[in-house]
Amino acid sequence: MSALIKGRAHLLGDDVNTDLHCSSKYHPGRDNAYVAQHAFEQLAPGFAARFGKRGVIVAGRNFGNNSSREQAVHILRMMGVGGIVAASFGRQFYRNCINNGLTAVECDVAGVADGDEIEIDPAAGRVAVRARGIVREVPPLPEAALAIVAAGGLIPFLKAHPDWKIPVTTEG
Amino acid sequence: MGATIAEKILGAHAGGAPARAGDIVVAGVDFAMLHDARASNALRRIEQLGAKKLPFASRTAFVLDHYSPPPHAEAANIHREMRAFADAHGTVLYDVGDGICHQVLPEGGHLTCGDLVVGTDTHSTTYGAFNAFGTGVEGTDLSAVMMTGKLWFRVPETIRVDLKGRLQPGVWAKDVTLHMLGRLGAEGANYKAIEYAGPAVRAMDMDDRMTLANHAAELGAKAALLEGDEKTFAWLKARGARDPRPVKADADARYGQRIEVDAAKLPPQVARKHKIDDVVGVPEVRGLRVNYALIGTCTNGRLDDIRQAAAILKGKRIAKGVRMIVTPASRNVYLQAAREGLIEILTQAGASFEAAGCGTCVNITGHLITGDGDVVITSANRNFKGRLGNPDSEIYVGSSATVAASALAGSITDPREVMGGDWRPVSKAA
Ligand code: SF4
Repeated sequence: MSALIKGRAHLLGDDVNTDLHCSSKYHPGRDNAYVAQHAFEQLAPGFAARFGKRGVIVAGRNFGNNSSREQAVHILRMMGVGGIVAASFGRQFYRNCINNGLTAVECDVAGVADGDEIEIDPAAGRVAVRARGIVREVPPLPEAALAIVAAGGLIPFLKAHPDWKIPVTTEG
Repeated sequence: MGATIAEKILGAHAGGAPARAGDIVVAGVDFAMLHDARASNALRRIEQLGAKKLPFASRTAFVLDHYSPPPHAEAANIHREMRAFADAHGTVLYDVGDGICHQVLPEGGHLTCGDLVVGTDTHSTTYGAFNAFGTGVEGTDLSAVMMTGKLWFRVPETIRVDLKGRLQPGVWAKDVTLHMLGRLGAEGANYKAIEYAGPAVRAMDMDDRMTLANHAAELGAKAALLEGDEKTFAWLKARGARDPRPVKADADARYGQRIEVDAAKLPPQVARKHKIDDVVGVPEVRGLRVNYALIGTCTNGRLDDIRQAAAILKGKRIAKGVRMIVTPASRNVYLQAAREGLIEILTQAGASFEAAGCGTCVNITGHLITGDGDVVITSANRNFKGRLGNPDSEIYVGSSATVAASALAGSITDPREVMGGDWRPVSKAA
C-alpha cells in the first residue's frame, strides 16, 4: 500500500516554517479548512488554489522547522498534499508527517521546477522527474515508517496492530 | 564497533543490542509527560484511538505549567479537563504553581539513568542531564505511549562535545550552550543527539547539567546525553527515583562530529536580539542599556540561578528604571530559595517573584509583556522577535549571573566584574 506517489511539484524555498504559514497562528480564530485555503499565501500567492489533489510539495532546507504542532500536518493533508520532498526537515515536523500518514522524503531538489510531474517511491528510495531525466536515490523509508504511513498514520495503525507487530530494521 | 549512549539506550529499550544511528526502532518508554499547551491535541488523539485501557496512564505526568496561572477561560478549561482525566486514569498531576514540566519530572523522582522518557515539548532533552534519553514528541505519540507503552524512534547520530578544563568562576553551562549556538548555529544539531563529556561537565552540579541538556533544544538536538556519576546518583536517590542503570558510550563509538571546547577560556556569552545564535562574549556588548531583567524558565530558573542573582544583589538595589522578575522553575525551588533567605535578598533589591511555571519564557500568561523600545536581558532559552509579546522590544539572552549583574548596573555587565559575580555552588562530590 505504500505505493508510488505521483503528482505535480509545487515549489517552496528554504526554512519554510509551517507554524507561521500553515497554522492558525497566521490566521487567528480561523479553522483548519480556512487555513488550508490560504496556506503559504505570503510566500507563494495563490499556492493553495493552484494545488491540485495529490500534489507534491518540493521544498528546500529545514521544511517545517520549529513547527512541532501536529496541526500543520493536518492542514497539509486537508490541502490534499500527496507527499513532501525537501532537502531537509524539522525533526518533530518529520515525525508528525509519518504519524499522520503523510509521506516525507529527504532529497536534493535541485533542478526540479514548479509544475513538474514528480514521483516518489518511498519503499524503493527513489525520487524522479522523468521529463527532466532526474532520478535520485534516497534512503528508503524503513518498514516501520512505511507501515505507519500506509495505514494512514499511527492512530489507524495501532487500531489495526495494537501490538506494534511491524518489521523493524536492525542494521543501518 | 562501539556504540553511543543514544544507541545503547534506544537499543536496550527495543529489547536487544545497541541500535545504530539511522535505524528505526520500536522501543518501550519508561515515563511520559504532557503539558497543558499541548493537552487539547493529545486528549483528542487519545479519544480517537478509542483504547479500552490506558495501561501507561500511571507512568505519565500531566503538568499545568504553561498557562500558569491561566490567562483565559479556555486555558482554565483545559486544566479542568486534564485534572478530570488524571483523576479517572491515575495519571500523575502537577497542578498550577507546582512548576515547569522539565523541573518537576526529575524532582518527582520519575526518571533515572538509562531511561527512555518522552514529553510533548522540545526541551524534554533536559532528562539527558540524568543520563536518560529524553526527547520531544506530539499528541499522537503520547496517545500511543499511553495505550501501548511503546513508540517508534529514529536512532540519531551523535555529536560528541568534550569540555576541557574548568569553567571560570562566573561562567556557567548557559555560556557553554550559547557558545555552541554561535559555533553550530540554531538547529546545528537537528535530528542529532549531543553527548557532553569532559572535566568541565563532571565539575558541574546537577542544576548546571540540567541547563546544558535542556538548552541543547535550541541547537535542534533530539536528545542531549551526559554520563551519570556519584552526583547524579545521589541527586536521584534523594528524590526517590528508581535505581540508576547508567549507560556510557564506548571508546570506539561512531560519532557524526567531535567538538572540543576549552572551557577555561570561555567568557560569559550573550545572544543578541532576535537571534539565539547571534552570540558574542559579554565584553563585546558591555554597556548596552537594559530596562527589563528576567530570571526563570526550564533553562535557567533553578536554585543555582537564584543563588547567582542573590550573590550579586545582596544588600544592593537594581538600577533605577529597571524592572526585574524571577520565576522559580518549581515550587520546590521556590521553597528552598525561601529557606535560604534568597527571596528576601532579591525582593529587597527590587525584584519581584512570580508563581513557579513558564511565565517568564514567552508571552503566554500575558502579564509580562514588554513596552515599545524595552531592552530585555533574560536567562530564558529563546529570544525571537515578539517572544515577550511586543515585536518593538529587544531580547538579549545570558546567564542568570549576567542578568543580575546587568540589572544592577542598568546595562549589560560581565558578572566577573561585580562583587558576588564569581559565586559557585560548593559541591560535595568531585
Ligand atoms: S519554560 Fe519556556 S521553553 Fe521551557 S517548557 Fe516552559 S514555555 Fe517551554
